Amino acid sequence: MSMLGIQWTSPMMLILLPLLLLPWFTHNQDKTVAWTSFVPVDSLSNVIGMGLKLLASAVIASLVITLAGPYMPEQKVERVGSGAEVVILVDRSRSMDDPFSTRGKALAVNRTVGKGDSKRRIAKKYLMEFVNKRPDDRFGFVLFSDKSLDLLPLSYNKESIRQTINASALGKGLSETNIAKAMITAAEMYSQEDYRGSRTVLLVSDGGQEFSEENKQKIAEMYKRENLTLYWVYMRSTTGLSLQEEGEGDSWKNTPEKRLHSFFKGLGVPYKVFEIESVKSFSEAIDTIDKQESQTLIVDEIIPREIKTAPFFILAMITMMLLVFAQFYTAWGVRKAYE
Amino acid sequence: MKLSYQSRITASAVLMLVVVLLIMASLWFPRTDRTVKVMDLLFVLDITQSMDVEDVDLNGQQVSRITWAKEYTKQVLQQLPCGSHVGLAAFSESRSLVLINPVEICESYNDLSQMLAKIDGSMAWALSSEVSKAVFGAINQAKLMDPSPDVVFITDGHEAPPLHAELYPKYKKKLGDVSGIFVGVGGEKLLPIPKHDFDGTRNGFWEENDVMHEDVYASLRSDQSTRGQRPRTEHLSSQKVGHIQGLADMLNFEVVTSPTKASTVLNTLQQKVKTRDQVVSYNWAPWFASIALILLVLLYFPLRFFRD
Repeated sequence: MSMLGIQWTSPMMLILLPLLLLPWFTHNQDKTVAWTSFVPVDSLSNVIGMGLKLLASAVIASLVITLAGPYMPEQKVERVGSGAEVVILVDRSRSMDDPFSTRGKALAVNRTVGKGDSKRRIAKKYLMEFVNKRPDDRFGFVLFSDKSLDLLPLSYNKESIRQTINASALGKGLSETNIAKAMITAAEMYSQEDYRGSRTVLLVSDGGQEFSEENKQKIAEMYKRENLTLYWVYMRSTTGLSLQEEGEGDSWKNTPEKRLHSFFKGLGVPYKVFEIESVKSFSEAIDTIDKQESQTLIVDEIIPREIKTAPFFILAMITMMLLVFAQFYTAWGVRKAYE
Repeated sequence: MKLSYQSRITASAVLMLVVVLLIMASLWFPRTDRTVKVMDLLFVLDITQSMDVEDVDLNGQQVSRITWAKEYTKQVLQQLPCGSHVGLAAFSESRSLVLINPVEICESYNDLSQMLAKIDGSMAWALSSEVSKAVFGAINQAKLMDPSPDVVFITDGHEAPPLHAELYPKYKKKLGDVSGIFVGVGGEKLLPIPKHDFDGTRNGFWEENDVMHEDVYASLRSDQSTRGQRPRTEHLSSQKVGHIQGLADMLNFEVVTSPTKASTVLNTLQQKVKTRDQVVSYNWAPWFASIALILLVLLYFPLRFFRD
């Protein structure tokens, strides 16, 4: 039931509303009169009598309404903010369990499931920092292994995205990952939404993959159509090579990472890669994205539900005070008459 | 006792004054602190293929076990008091993949329910179904969270491949403060399991020769003496109440079998798992307003209709 957008916490209480008719049937305070025709017709008295009954009805109705708990439901209000919409894709492959490498340092490669600084944990830490820096952003999260799922559709709820990122750092990685599918899922998430401002896909992975021609076409087409900006945070493996090192007869140019990089470059959408060599460069990458992605954005603000019982209580109180006054006046008058 | 006209008028005037005072109290009486018990829970939903068997009743309709599990979880979420924290995980292969760590239920209900709706067999990353290991994994991950939630594991208990009678996985670590319950789903009759290819397309049912009917050790030993004595029914599935109970006994969990109301699980949880006291401010206004309304009804009640 709604009226002017008002909703009820316990609408069943409204079945008590007919109680407001009670004052119109009651006469039990009347003085016993031998023959009512003796009483002179006094139009002023009639009006006052009617008025008092109306007031009494109003009090009863107001109280019933407060018991039904009227409230304005939470409302979305659009305001202009600055920020971006960000869909996060985190590689969950096994290699992300490897310790985070530092360039030039050969590390004993031990998989650090559940403890230490695996790449997944480092990624989690900095993604978290990023989310905390961006109050106006709307975040979504794609979970992907061999399949991909838009686990968290774009949401303003920071706690949801934080805990989804936290969950992504738990446990072992999954054996198979399919980055192309995840990228398509991310674009699909945007295609269901109205355009509100800067749209970003943030891919965090430690390796590249060869995409099929079909997927390449689909990705290129969708990313252009949906106006997406792509950031690739590439967490290089200890043995991995820099994407930029391009020399004559580069024998590494056919590595999946490099081919993915050149595919991204040729996408025709804004694209930037961050090669992460150290914790510091991760932090810098996050800062750069943070600075770049602060265009105007339409932000939904949720105005929480407002409980609307107070006006009815005030109405009931004022009306009831009038009735009390009238009743005491009557009592005073009757006493005078008996004196 | 009959009051005089005069005193009746005065009495009702006084009564009306009380009503005014009650309405004022509704408006201005301060809210008081009250504690409610809230819980932190990690819901783990079995998404293995045996959960696609349609042998559970939901509002008079035969639905698949996973459909029921999702709907039931949603109902439990709706009944948890604000302040409770809930996380979601999906179980496939031999692990429980945590999708979201516990978040406050009321503020994040929208995100939780959307995420819950997306959980199903199509996100499974492998075809086996090792319930025991997945439960242990869920407990291990719950222990890593702070505060560590208790586990609600919704499953039909179907192990694929089957377990050896003695050489089954045991939980050797300390349970710590993690406790939990199993919610058993599925019917009593052995029914064929719909087969889905890895990309999710439906492809008939699992046949007798598609699955392992013995545990891994037995098939490795190719021990002829025990061969063929086990019934070859692993391609069919029913709720494995005994197995779930066995796991529950090992882990000191409670079991709720095919509950029909959300309150069943809530009541069991309240007795089994740790609860936190959450302070909420309690509003007394409805009490004052109710008393005021009762007084008014008495005041204006048309007694003459009931006299003689």
